[in-house]
Amino acid sequence: MTNTALDQALQTLERATSTPELVKATQALCALNDLEAAKPLVKVLGFNNPAVAAVATQGLIQLGRDTIPILLVSLDARNYGARAWVVKVIAALRDPRGLDLLEHALEADIAPSVRRSATRGLADLELSEDAAHDQLVRCFEGLLKAVRDDEWVVRYAAAYGLEQRLNSAAVSAHLAEQGRAALNQLASDAEGVRVVQLRALKALQRLNAG
Amino acid sequence: MEPLSETQVIQNLRQTEDPSAQYYAAWWLGKMRSQHPDAIPLLLRALEALDATPIDPEQRGVALNAIRALGLLRDMRAEQPLLALLHSNDYTVREEVVRTLGAMGSCGAVEGIRALLASGLEGAGAEQPSSPLLNEPCEALLEALGDIGDGSSSNLAVIHPFTEHPRPLIRSAACRALLQLTGLDQWGMELKKLLNHPEPLVRRGALLDLGATGWLAAVPSIRTAAVEPSLKLVALREVAERNVDPNDVLDAMDGLL
Repeated sequence: MTNTALDQALQTLERATSTPELVKATQALCALNDLEAAKPLVKVLGFNNPAVAAVATQGLIQLGRDTIPILLVSLDARNYGARAWVVKVIAALRDPRGLDLLEHALEADIAPSVRRSATRGLADLELSEDAAHDQLVRCFEGLLKAVRDDEWVVRYAAAYGLEQRLNSAAVSAHLAEQGRAALNQLASDAEGVRVVQLRALKALQRLNAG
Repeated sequence: MEPLSETQVIQNLRQTEDPSAQYYAAWWLGKMRSQHPDAIPLLLRALEALDATPIDPEQRGVALNAIRALGLLRDMRAEQPLLALLHSNDYTVREEVVRTLGAMGSCGAVEGIRALLASGLEGAGAEQPSSPLLNEPCEALLEALGDIGDGSSSNLAVIHPFTEHPRPLIRSAACRALLQLTGLDQWGMELKKLLNHPEPLVRRGALLDLGATGWLAAVPSIRTAAVEPSLKLVALREVAERNVDPNDVLDAMDGLL
């Protein structure tokens, strides 16, 4: 990859003004498949343009886990829209280095779609070999918080996530008990949203069969 | 700030000094699905402001929130007072009343709704002079007929012309109602076409309309539509809750989280 190609793509992006132009320029930047493009792609996430951000998100996911350190340092605390997209990328990459960020997003973010993505991330995150137990406990704790979220879609993601995590052989008896109790609660009439009940029931059925 | 207690909210709706507290209280009772014994009587009392001449604009706001809350609480005690408001000369009041009666599944509203639509594309569906509004809140009217679920031939006949309305969201509402009332795939296919509309707003509307029909064949198109995942999840939730075996729908939802 020559720097000229990257420079050219960046210049085109710089000059783009309309949404179709921005989408095209972002696609060109993604197509380079160059780690150097990660930072400018994160910047694109902050343009507050969903069509363009969706393209940049895919590009970042495609760049893989090498982008994680870049994502973690370039996170703009003030730009809430950009943060939401970064959470999505980190959840999709399933990298354990994103755990802090996912925990924080679930706890503090006002947008349900961000808490949903963070919950999904906690469900699917791969655990590092040297700290697997500690990380698994933290993922579980996050999922148990998501069970109590006000938004149905976050509780739905929690039901999905508890099923994923309870499937793992590494889960201690204590965590398994807590996880099952939470699924039972989501499956009961205490849960006001039918689809959340349905998802929790499905999780329990499969766990009991397996 | 401390969250308000239900008792405090009821008190806020009962008092008449501070309309903004009433406005918020009316919204809160619906949002929280309040079961408080005074909730329905107080919400109905708020509707009385719409009979005054002239109507106090702040009390009109409280009344509109009360109508919306009644749609969430779905208590049949509200049916008669709401039916009377179908003839309000305030477009927004008619629109919200129709949405609420549709959500309540009010069979008593069918005739009144049909009457409002009967003048068709040239009447109800025509644009008001120098306003983006149509003469009647057609989208809400069509959706309510579908939600109430009375598939009589006179209902179908009054909905049918709106599948040719120049505005895509009106066409979408008409197809949604016809799919709900007849179960015929042809109306689902029309809705799927609207999912590819160049306008994001139309795609979103068609997506939610497809969800409301519970039509299982829509799941793959909902999954792949060019619409935000949050909205797809809302539409798929509707499909899942309307089917006896929602397994495939839940799988599709898992993939969008």
